Amino acid sequence: MTGRRTAQVCLTLGGLIAWAIQFTIIYGVTSTLCGRGWADTALLGMGAVQITILLATLTALAAAAILLIVSLRQERQQRDHPASATDTFLNESGVLINGLSLVVILWHGVPAVILPACA
Amino acid sequence: MNAPELPKSFERQEAELPNPLPRPEGEFEALKKAWKAPRGLSFITAVNNTYVGLWYVGTAFLFFILAGILALIMRVQLAAPESDFVSHDLYNQLFTMHGTVMMFLFAVPAVEAASVYLLPNMQAARDLPFPRLSAYAFWAYFVGGLVFFGTIFVGLSPDGGWFMYPPLTSTKYSPAENADWWLLGIGFIEISAIAGAIEIIVGVMKTRAVGMSLDKLPVYSWAMLVFAVMIVIGFPAIILGTLLLEMERAFDWPFFIAERGGDPLLWQHLFWFFGHPEVYIIFLPATGMVSMIVPAMAQTPLVGYRLVVLALIATGFLSFGLWVHHMFATGLPKMSLSFFSAASTAVAVPSGIQVFAWIATIASGRMRLTTPSLFVIGFLFIFTLGGLTGVMVAMAPFDWQAHDSYFVVAHLHYVLIGGMVFPLFAAIYYWVPVASKRALSERLGRWVFGLMFLGVNVTFLPMHITGLIGMPRRVYTYPVGMGWDALNLVSTIGAFMIAAGVAVFLFDMARNFRFASEDNAGNVWNAGTLEWLPNGNYATRSIPSVVSRDPLWDQPNLPKDVEDGRYYLPGTATGGREALVTSPFDARPQYILQIPGPGWQPVLAAVFTAAFFLLLTVKFVFTSIICGVLAVGCVIWWLWETDPGPVRPPADIGGGIVIPVYVTGPMNHSWWAMIVLMVVSGMVFTCLIFSYLFLWLVNPGAWPPRGVELPQWIWPSLSTVLYVGSAILIARASWLLKGDDRRSPRSVPILIGAAMLLLAGASAIDLRAQWQAGLSPSAHAYGAAVYAILSLQIFFVLTTLIMGLYTIARWLAGKLDSVRRTTFDNSMLFWYYTVGQGLAGLLMIHGFPRLTGGA
Amino acid sequence: MFLWTVPVAGCGGVQSALDPAGGDAWDLYRLTIVMTVGATLIFVFVTALLLYAVFAPPERRAWLGTRRTIVYGGLAFPIVVLSLLLPYGLVVMRDTDVPQPGALQIEVTGEQYWWRVRYPAEGDQAEFSTANELIVPIGRPITVSVTAADVIHSFWIPNLGGKIDMIPGRINRFNFTAERPGLYRGICAEFCGAQHARMAFDVMVLEPTEFEVWRQSQAQPAQEPAIPHLARGRDLFRAGGCGSCHMVRGTEANGQFGPDLTHVGSRRTIGAGQFPNNVGTLAGWIANVQQIKPGAKMPSYGSLTGEDLRAMAGYLESLK
Repeated sequence: MTGRRTAQVCLTLGGLIAWAIQFTIIYGVTSTLCGRGWADTALLGMGAVQITILLATLTALAAAAILLIVSLRQERQQRDHPASATDTFLNESGVLINGLSLVVILWHGVPAVILPACA
Repeated sequence: MNAPELPKSFERQEAELPNPLPRPEGEFEALKKAWKAPRGLSFITAVNNTYVGLWYVGTAFLFFILAGILALIMRVQLAAPESDFVSHDLYNQLFTMHGTVMMFLFAVPAVEAASVYLLPNMQAARDLPFPRLSAYAFWAYFVGGLVFFGTIFVGLSPDGGWFMYPPLTSTKYSPAENADWWLLGIGFIEISAIAGAIEIIVGVMKTRAVGMSLDKLPVYSWAMLVFAVMIVIGFPAIILGTLLLEMERAFDWPFFIAERGGDPLLWQHLFWFFGHPEVYIIFLPATGMVSMIVPAMAQTPLVGYRLVVLALIATGFLSFGLWVHHMFATGLPKMSLSFFSAASTAVAVPSGIQVFAWIATIASGRMRLTTPSLFVIGFLFIFTLGGLTGVMVAMAPFDWQAHDSYFVVAHLHYVLIGGMVFPLFAAIYYWVPVASKRALSERLGRWVFGLMFLGVNVTFLPMHITGLIGMPRRVYTYPVGMGWDALNLVSTIGAFMIAAGVAVFLFDMARNFRFASEDNAGNVWNAGTLEWLPNGNYATRSIPSVVSRDPLWDQPNLPKDVEDGRYYLPGTATGGREALVTSPFDARPQYILQIPGPGWQPVLAAVFTAAFFLLLTVKFVFTSIICGVLAVGCVIWWLWETDPGPVRPPADIGGGIVIPVYVTGPMNHSWWAMIVLMVVSGMVFTCLIFSYLFLWLVNPGAWPPRGVELPQWIWPSLSTVLYVGSAILIARASWLLKGDDRRSPRSVPILIGAAMLLLAGASAIDLRAQWQAGLSPSAHAYGAAVYAILSLQIFFVLTTLIMGLYTIARWLAGKLDSVRRTTFDNSMLFWYYTVGQGLAGLLMIHGFPRLTGGA
Repeated sequence: MFLWTVPVAGCGGVQSALDPAGGDAWDLYRLTIVMTVGATLIFVFVTALLLYAVFAPPERRAWLGTRRTIVYGGLAFPIVVLSLLLPYGLVVMRDTDVPQPGALQIEVTGEQYWWRVRYPAEGDQAEFSTANELIVPIGRPITVSVTAADVIHSFWIPNLGGKIDMIPGRINRFNFTAERPGLYRGICAEFCGAQHARMAFDVMVLEPTEFEVWRQSQAQPAQEPAIPHLARGRDLFRAGGCGSCHMVRGTEANGQFGPDLTHVGSRRTIGAGQFPNNVGTLAGWIANVQQIKPGAKMPSYGSLTGEDLRAMAGYLESLK
């Protein structure tokens, strides 16, 4: 697997990878802070748990959005300069996957604005 | 993407075909000879995917029937309140075995078995890349599974539920061997599943028809690829879980005992991190089958191929974010639960995509209402309902009511029977013509479908209500007057309707299924994919080159040209069994893989592996260890015949393509398998580190517990030096073993030997340091966790040492040089992994408690 | 006694999530109804579409056979629906099972296969223990702290809200307010071994005054036997060693292993919600536990003569 292909796969799956990282962080941090009673730390009027979730969500959203834009741009380029069928396929899949990931990542941020931190 | 009503014809010039006619005399005979199946008693040494695949499917189906019978007994017991048809003791074994057998001995093996049969055919590969590994996986499962099931006849079956929650399953509350049967029996069936998954990943990525690039891969192959990756990620969690629980039971290491710092919830995390993806692990292959059947039945290409592939991949990812939804009632913070609610709702989207893709495909073609079609329509009906109740239980507050009630029994049977059993029946009716001289009966098939479809709904639809009006799961009886009587009676009647449907199916199989390796019933459905090409033991006569996803529709002369030997590799280049290895993305020919034929080694290795685990269960430790050694011996005997080296110069496979018959490095198929194995090992280790951190989290102020001293810095530092040193020696040996001149320097075995000493020393020093510091594995969960990390590391070191010895033996036998070095490469990769894991373990054991300062 | 005057709820309704008797249970019920109706509509729609795709004439259904169907039906539609459902579910989660200030505290421990119930001291009210029954006042928030003594159990009163697991080494809390007086039934919802099926308890929701009466009487020591027959039962109870496992406050029976029997006669059922409580069932229980509930920790006392058995059962029944 060449480096170009590796990069391509990362671009195609990037949104879901961003979700996986976001998920690991928000679940891990919530469990640790609540489990150890460290959740009372407040910053800017928000609890540490909420802040972590919001930051992780925004970062993951930004990452997925950037990947989506890159995929879209590459797709447009390929329309002008036909690439191999595999390349086109990976790119178009990337557009779909990164687009769907945006929604999924956003959903994982919603609890932060509804629920209390550790109840 | 509007599909044409009829397959468009694809014009192709005669001259473009890679191999000219007539084919040389004796070419076809040589091919047939190489792939001849063994006869007589040695028949069981066959490794052909078509043979092993069928035995595998047949055995899985046997377990379906057996576990189904257990369910019927339970339904009789529950038909009326306060019934005493079976005792509580037997009932608890029945429901445990029903779940365990259906999940571990039927569902996963069945989909894996089907792919052993179908995958190579669908990709026009001659066989899977490691045929003996599939044979091994099958025999281990066959022997182990039957013995495991046999425990029900002697009252020794596990009775703690298929989820085996401690402390109920720990020594204190389950002192008998019943629980050990589950832990050891299931433990090695998981290993068999992982062996299959490695095979499938390499098979999908490396052995395809020429030109079958990723965008032309059959959806089924995609599904199996995602399936196998999910096994590789998910199964290690349960393997580790069973290891920890068995260590607790055998040696009293308190991972799950609350009084000594353990936590029962750790098991639930490990179990469900495997257990939820497991549901999708058996569902995805089934959707892959449906995505093959629907286009054939509607005679039109699948609508939304890319969206379906997206759905498969997204399901694979998201399904790992669901596990806590089985733990909604465990009292975790609501915030934590909500993430799993979100992921559980999200995973509904990909399922929706697939359902609408099939509807769109049906609408764009002309659906013939054959038996496979009926099962697909039944699947869509049942699965949609199960999926919708799935979204309901994804909402934690609703689940607080529904959890562990009959509502969940209804939900899970809708998704599993709808999502897996119906597609499997569709698949059997659809693909039997490939494997049999005759197709199954359409008339009987309608009866099978009708009885099963009605039966499933009659059985499980009422259970939604039964659950919401308060009936909990896993009860051997229930009181009179709760309003559950009539509903339960209806469910029992439905269960017998399903059984009647299965009985008609068995009759149909007995009447019409006649095994065929050459003269099968043929392309009776006018399907478009490669498994419908004319077949023999050697699979297809030549390896086709494809230009679309439905080659048989788009290249009308394909079957004849393939059969005439006009495509690639129409004979055998080395005189033995071969497969064509292609590049993972674009499927360009890379090399000819020499694959092993029939042999007793995998059968014997499997029997001894099974014996090792089963005898260990009944505490015949000595005999068990002998069997373990024999199993390792058989594996080494089997491996000895592999890594043949470049037995001949590069060969012409047609069309001017000349490729080698032996390669090493990242292009090699076993390199890929080794990488996958390292991922599996890495996941086991990751789960162990997670367990360590989890136990830290539940033990505030006791990490390490009072009175426990950490070993001095000097010891882990020394271990680190030795680990790194052994890796450097191996790297040096690899460097010396380069060049086209087939050199084989004497320093190589010496370096390997020295590296073995360093490796053994590194782990021994760490073990000794903990022991000297007075750490006890059974006093507190801290010690248990530390010794678990050490034990895992020592297991890997021992394995690496065996590989080192084996590599030295290859050198001594003159079977290792700078060209023929696959054996060395595999050992090297594993060596690096072991060193890496050792270093990470040291960092964790010695670094983490210092970092947190005992907090 | 007043306990028997409480109107018993409808037969099928004592253990039903579809017959809510408290605010939180109503919220969960509403969520259930909303989702059931929604799921049914979607199910009918998808099935109709499927049948249309199969049976409609090809030219009529052609519009359905495109990628657009997937994008709208499989992608956009679920995303919209779920984007509405998820926040609704989270809000219900936020608003149910919330600890309230001034709540009545009750501690319940799950054991194989019964429930140890403790009412801690509150104000002038002394603490006391009972078993296999939960008596609560109407309208006052309740917090039940649950844990387990041996294996994992799960505490579930369908009419009053969701379930909460009882896990050794952990204390979980379940908060609810009962809003309708009556008799309900709770059960163990996590498989806990041989007699998981026979592990239930009675839940009685009383008017606050009735509850206070009950609570005060429970805190009293056991009544002295009023007649010789019962005194004989007490002596047999003592001689048989029953007190090494069972507590009868006010006597020397101070065992901690099994249920507190100080007021066992006042309970509605015996055997963890299994049988009506009367002299006959009590006698049967003592003589035949291992036939009735095999696997329970109490041995059968089958060697007692019929008369001794009646005396002992009579004594227990008199412990109101």
